[in-house]
Amino acid sequence: MPPNAIRKLAPALARHAAALALAFVFLVPLAWIVAASLRQPGLPPPRTIQWLPNPPSWANYLAIFNFPSVPLARYALNSLVVASAAVVLTAVTASWTGLAMALAPARWQARLVMFSIALLLVPAGALWLPRFVLFTWLHLIDSYGALLAPALMGSSPLFVLLFYWTYRRLPAELFESAQLDGAGLLTLWWRLALPLSTATLVAVGILTFLLYWSDFVNPLLFLKTPDLYTLPIGISQLKAMDRNNWPLLLAAAVFMTAPTVALFLVVQRFFLGENKLHL
Amino acid sequence: MSASSPRTPTQPAVTAQRWQRQQQAALIGLLLPYVLGALVLVVIPGVLALGLSFSYYDGLSAPSWWGLRNYRMFFIDPLERIAVANSLYFTLLAVPLRVLGALGLALLLRRPGRGVGLYRAAVYLPTVIPDVAYALIWLWVFNPLFGPLNLLLGVLGLPQPAWLADAATAKLVFVFMSLFQIGEGFVVLLAGLQTIPADYADAATVDGAGPVSFFRYITLPLLAPWLILLTVRDLIWSFQYTFTPSLLMTQGDPYHATLFLPLLSFEETFANLRFGMGAAILVVMFACSFALVLAFYAVVRRWTRADAA
Repeated sequence: MPPNAIRKLAPALARHAAALALAFVFLVPLAWIVAASLRQPGLPPPRTIQWLPNPPSWANYLAIFNFPSVPLARYALNSLVVASAAVVLTAVTASWTGLAMALAPARWQARLVMFSIALLLVPAGALWLPRFVLFTWLHLIDSYGALLAPALMGSSPLFVLLFYWTYRRLPAELFESAQLDGAGLLTLWWRLALPLSTATLVAVGILTFLLYWSDFVNPLLFLKTPDLYTLPIGISQLKAMDRNNWPLLLAAAVFMTAPTVALFLVVQRFFLGENKLHL
Repeated sequence: MSASSPRTPTQPAVTAQRWQRQQQAALIGLLLPYVLGALVLVVIPGVLALGLSFSYYDGLSAPSWWGLRNYRMFFIDPLERIAVANSLYFTLLAVPLRVLGALGLALLLRRPGRGVGLYRAAVYLPTVIPDVAYALIWLWVFNPLFGPLNLLLGVLGLPQPAWLADAATAKLVFVFMSLFQIGEGFVVLLAGLQTIPADYADAATVDGAGPVSFFRYITLPLLAPWLILLTVRDLIWSFQYTFTPSLLMTQGDPYHATLFLPLLSFEETFANLRFGMGAAILVVMFACSFALVLAFYAVVRRWTRADAA
């Protein structure tokens, strides 16, 4: 190979090597816990790094559902119910708000975008104490209403902005023709806006699901009846009861993480790949 | 469609205007859940937290006026000062590293090409792991006796710290685990890099600019708004980031080395039923992040002035 070609190729090769090494660093903790979760129950902890236990055992994945006094399957179902309800509510309210913003006069569009960005900067996770007091006064404590309240405002200002940016890009003639037909705003939303924003709907739906499936702090604070507990609470209970049973705890962690990784792999092309959402 | 868009006075436009007037109520109706939700879930709780911080409230009987007594605890009780120091330590170390990490990854993986999509997905993946699972993962990785990290360090003949069991290293574990969840900043900077026109790079190459001066004089100034937004957001968010890991992994131990402000607020509120004190800690936390944002703003102002001169 002529030295010129090597000089051209070398940076690309170095770039790939660096990227590969970094990808490895980011993935290795996940690989470690999957390996640890497959260790046979009852064995002493390993004294050397195990990339794959020999023989691998699925016993821990059955044990997490048969743990006394922690009905993890029930909690997982509760999580599924809460997250699904949140997805539907969020899809409606976030797209309503996004559409209304896109149809509002320009002055109000700018104000609402600023308002949303200001909301994004508020550390909402730090408002749990006054929310607890407020929800107590509103008698929402110990109900899924307390968990789902944010879904009534689109769950996150980011989701609202995603819909706003999507609808703003739609050609004005579309809305004009609907107006000529005398269609109301709700008809416009249902017949025109929603079908034209399926990519945003899928992306926001998945991000919403991840948000509520992973939520630990809100159920920790707002739920009291064990029958209502969600998966994150159940796993923190497992940890409190059997703190040194690492294969069991890590199997629970993998069980909870697997759906988020699968959904992320579906949604990642929207914001990491070539055909990403145009922000 | 905006009302200010130019329109010729033809029949359809009149219809459209009438339609718009008719639908104005409906438009407000669609906006209502969002605006009301923000009011009930963000604005009112913010005001309520401020009010509670000046009162004594045990969650049962009515709150009573308490003046500055909750805030005075920051000068009396060493725990409050330890928590402020711990939270500032975490933020001042984690935020610059997180922003620089996201910037480095975005620069490395900006160009489309073979495998880049996979690398980007790998980098983002830890960000989607649920908090509880994430805490368990690092509790295992940093286990001093049989965690894979210390086993690896042992194989390499390196020292094996006690990590979370040692007050000297416990906070570093929290900083370290926060560095793996930088997917959002990474995507924001990736989007920012896409907005830099390709012909800038061509023009700079013609002018004979090396990669370093190109980054310093083209990329960095054009990326600055994104970097500033990201840093401000991270300065605010990093204070609450420590809550779940500290609650699940250490509960503030050893010797209060991982007692951060949100954990202290949680304990004061629900273990000691001192809601007013818990609210005062949240207000102090908010004031800390606000002060850091102002300080950052002052630094940025000085830099841009020096650049312009």
